[in-house]
Amino acid sequence: MTEGIQNVSKPQIKVENLNLWYGEKQALKNVSMHIPRNSITALIGPSGCGKSTFIRCLNRMNDLINNCRIEGKVTIESNNIYGPDVDVVDLRKSVGMVFQKPNPFPMSIYDNVAYGPRIHGANRKDLDGIVEQALHSAAIWDEVSDRLKSPALSLSGGQQQRLCIARTLAVKPKIILFDEPTSALDPISTLRIEDLTMNLKKDYTIVIVTHNMQQAARISDYTGFFLMGELIEFGQTKQIFQNPREKSTEDYITGRFG
Amino acid sequence: MTREQYVKQLDLLKESVLSLGEMVELIFRDSMTSVINLDVKLAEKTLALEPEVDKLEEDIEASVFDLLALQQPMASDLRLVVSTLKITADLRRIVGLSVNIAKIPGRMEGGHVKPLIDTKKMADAAAFMLENSLKAFEAQDVELARAAARRDEEVDKLFYAVWVELIEMMAKDTSIISRATNLLFLIRYLERIADHCCNICESVVYLATAERVKLN
Repeated sequence: MTEGIQNVSKPQIKVENLNLWYGEKQALKNVSMHIPRNSITALIGPSGCGKSTFIRCLNRMNDLINNCRIEGKVTIESNNIYGPDVDVVDLRKSVGMVFQKPNPFPMSIYDNVAYGPRIHGANRKDLDGIVEQALHSAAIWDEVSDRLKSPALSLSGGQQQRLCIARTLAVKPKIILFDEPTSALDPISTLRIEDLTMNLKKDYTIVIVTHNMQQAARISDYTGFFLMGELIEFGQTKQIFQNPREKSTEDYITGRFG
Repeated sequence: MTREQYVKQLDLLKESVLSLGEMVELIFRDSMTSVINLDVKLAEKTLALEPEVDKLEEDIEASVFDLLALQQPMASDLRLVVSTLKITADLRRIVGLSVNIAKIPGRMEGGHVKPLIDTKKMADAAAFMLENSLKAFEAQDVELARAAARRDEEVDKLFYAVWVELIEMMAKDTSIISRATNLLFLIRYLERIADHCCNICESVVYLATAERVKLN
């Protein structure tokens, strides 16, 4: 079912036969997916289909959940991220994540961005540069440059989300996972974040879970459709939205579902 | 099923195209009958239908723009909406050409310069193509679309044969030039109508398969 882009030369993320259980309940069934470097991959599907569970496997966020069992293989740049000698903190540094609700720390704008580099041992004198660059890349520098010491929570929702993106960028990840990053934002902030992701893909690989199909269509290069824990179809976004191969994909994206 | 209103709108859109198609078939058929029999009355009746076609075309376009702007159709829905727009444009061109045909009887004093045997064959093939391209649209039948488009070759061959014949006749007898030129235009219109039918068939293939093909 995923033959469309299964043959990507040197995928950056390679998922093979991934199965996941929460206790007795199987949430992912034999999912295989190859994600190319410097691309945006959107994951769509109804609530409970496994797309968020899947994305959380890519930086081992599911490790934090009790009675979660995972089988299969996830390799990122040829490293098995579930291998015994993997440092999960390092993994999450190179595979960053942005969540549905903006969640800045209750500290200043500056300290939010500097937080990651600090705990990873960045030099004090380098910090200003790192913070400025991250805020630039997250397209929020112009709005906050004159109030870096203000509390992050004084920003609007859309600004807070871009700050969270800056915070992720500050530790120089290779991959950024977005879990419904705009579902709590107004349309203009949403379009800003979308534009931002498209600019970021030249330096990062992006995987985004979204309930907004138009968003998936607008920004992604590849789209995967999940249903009841299975990856039903994975292909170029243009193909998925013009001519899906599977009937259930067609039913979902045309709104015939249910 | 969710989105019932939307699905209804899509069904209505398809039905409107088929109604337009029926009207176009009628106009084309009557324009040909009027020119074969040089029946000026029938020709006038046919010409009077053009404003109705314009109205229907406008309505279809408005529905397409509404659907695109308000419903963001995807996948096969998107292909239906896009091919509807293209097919409507081709049907409108066929009406334009049929109107040109229906204007010929009024200019043909003195009757035809030759029996319209091959020209009738061209018109029959074009009518077949029109009818079946619309059937193929209704049923999303790729094979029928391809079969309909194949008749274009026959139309092109007849066009060339009649064209050569008329040029030769005019070279021998210059007194027929005016009437023979009307026939030259007539076969040119028929040839163009067949081409528009091929376009419709291409839109049907796209609608059914998302493949973009050239059929003429």
